[in-house]
Amino acid sequence: MSATVLQARANLTLPVEADSITPDRIDGLQQVAVGNLPILYGREWAPLGDLFAVSGDGRADLVLEGDLTHVKRIGQGMTRGTIAIHGNAGLHLGSQMRGGEITVDSNVGGWAGAHMAGGRLRIYGDAGPMLGSAYPGERRGMTGGVILVEGSAAARVGERMRRGLIAVGGSTGDFPGARMIAGSLFVFGQLGPRAGAGMKRGSIVSLGSLASGVLPTFQYSCRFAPGFLQLYLRYLLRWGMPVTPAHLQGQYQRYTGDINTLGKGEILIYDQH
Amino acid sequence: MTRTVEHVVCPTCGCLCDDLVVEVDGTRVTQARRACPNGRTFFKSYDPTPRLPRVHGREVEWNEAIAEAARMLTQARSPLIYGLSSTATEAQRCAVELADRLGAILDTTSSLCHGPAVLAMQSVGLPGCTLGEIRSNADLVIFWGCNPAVSHPRHFARYSLPPANRRSRVAVVVDVRPTATSDIADLFLQVEPGSDLEILTALRALVHARPLSARAIGGVPLANWEDLAGRMKSCRMGVVFAGVGLTMSQGRDLNLGELFSLVAELNDCTRFAAMPMRGHGNVAGADQVLTWQSGYPFAVNYGRGFPRYGPGEFSAVDVLAHGEADAALIIASDPLAHLPSSSAVHLREIPVVAIDPRESLTTRIAQVVLPTACYGLDAAGTYYRMDGVPIRLRPVISSARPTDEQALQQLLDSVVRVSAGAVPTC
Ligand code: SF4
Repeated sequence: MSATVLQARANLTLPVEADSITPDRIDGLQQVAVGNLPILYGREWAPLGDLFAVSGDGRADLVLEGDLTHVKRIGQGMTRGTIAIHGNAGLHLGSQMRGGEITVDSNVGGWAGAHMAGGRLRIYGDAGPMLGSAYPGERRGMTGGVILVEGSAAARVGERMRRGLIAVGGSTGDFPGARMIAGSLFVFGQLGPRAGAGMKRGSIVSLGSLASGVLPTFQYSCRFAPGFLQLYLRYLLRWGMPVTPAHLQGQYQRYTGDINTLGKGEILIYDQH
Repeated sequence: MTRTVEHVVCPTCGCLCDDLVVEVDGTRVTQARRACPNGRTFFKSYDPTPRLPRVHGREVEWNEAIAEAARMLTQARSPLIYGLSSTATEAQRCAVELADRLGAILDTTSSLCHGPAVLAMQSVGLPGCTLGEIRSNADLVIFWGCNPAVSHPRHFARYSLPPANRRSRVAVVVDVRPTATSDIADLFLQVEPGSDLEILTALRALVHARPLSARAIGGVPLANWEDLAGRMKSCRMGVVFAGVGLTMSQGRDLNLGELFSLVAELNDCTRFAAMPMRGHGNVAGADQVLTWQSGYPFAVNYGRGFPRYGPGEFSAVDVLAHGEADAALIIASDPLAHLPSSSAVHLREIPVVAIDPRESLTTRIAQVVLPTACYGLDAAGTYYRMDGVPIRLRPVISSARPTDEQALQQLLDSVVRVSAGAVPTC
């Protein structure tokens, strides 16, 4: 595939804010112009070319290489194209993105996909805290799109999410789906404690184990095989998530809550028996 | 000759007791009557003898130290300004201006104690009141995850459980282990660590008579929580003091958000308030000043030329743990003693400027140390009590040392000169 390639020149340790690294900004630019895009290095603006070697054919599709642990806001607000990251990525990866696709070979920092409204974010390693969630003071987190994590996700995944889909192949930290307004969260490993605290609507689906019981403000509803789940699980299977035939055919225990809010949210727990 | 000063304010903790009687012999405080042991230590251990600043361990003139500090901070690409909880609002204001000028990250000790309470306040609001109202009217006082008998020893006598009406009020303690505060409580609920959110959500449900299926929550039988919910609804005025046991356990701001929501809902049937049990003397003032100057209470980044808010990203503990600062200005705080080791390690590796009236672990490793006067002892300034009431501190002894505010103003002037291309004057 032809693409614009950005190779980190050195191990960056001070924070870099690279919200200019999006297919929208780079599309149609010559290599020199790409190298002149501004990025914030610490408290000073620097040309992108000072920190990254630019090569490739100037297309909108981007490939980033090197350890980008301290490079934040890659793909922020992007609406189209692709970004492939070979290595770790820093905070706020793909936050507020509305379209296109980001794939990351390795781990990502906190707030990946925060306020995401569309597109797809695929993480092959682990995700930091607040995946697909809301920034402090904001009422809504993710409002659309898909986030797929092959590894684990840290605390508070999907907090205040309003719409969209998050699937985590491994386990989650504390408070998955806290204050969720709507949307779907699938966890194939261990669902972290206090899932769905303060949730209004939406579905949290546990396909593995539970770190602890559900909160006391959730009530047992029934045991059944939800039809809509088949549809989601088939999509997730197609996207390479670890869906088994048993998940597709199995029964699920349904808990509803949180009764302190609307109480229309649900936690579906795959019944292994 | 000994003289007596009355109505002295103790700036040690968020209580800001303003009824102390202090005896001064020359330039030393010999007695601090009515102060608790923490306050007495504060007053009696202070030595106001003028000291020269240090640069790389060498004593130098004041201007030389200021010039070196300005050089270090302006050369940094990602400077951090941290502390501010034990200095006056006048100095805090200067620190904000300096951070703005430097494009620095600015954080206070709030992010390590009650920052989550501020986040919760922004999210769901805080039904509050003053300590005076609690002293006069409260008949149910709940201490949740705090131990004021040790951290704020005069809190009971002055505000929450005054002896004159102790019998008419019920004191409840919710904590993970017995403490000196639980020893004097009428009701002690020992809960499992990390279960605060479950309990608070359950209490909200019980207050609204919603059914709960659990028989025990947080390791305490449901009947006890039903009893507490009943007391909360039927009291004349209740208050919950929230400590770091709530803000720094799992859930952090979610715990506080649940608590503030519970308290707000209780106001449908009675008068109820919540109050974070602020520790350092003016940490509440730091929140106030940063909010009115930048719009945000802590964890503010000026790197883009305007303030941005990032708890968890621009908090000093995270910035240092990720190695994302290359110089630090520490004001009236001792982060080496308080920060987790992962953050403290990085602080030892970067240039540090410390402004502090006292020697500390941080001043020992700092490249530049600016010894200043101490607010409430030999400097005047404004502090905010834990309930947000501003209180003026007067000096009880005289000293030749500059205040934090003067030091920061000089540093700011020097930074402006260096940024404008002038050679720093020594
Ligand atoms: S309770 Fe706090 S403010 Fe009051 S005397 Fe003790 S340390 Fe000082």
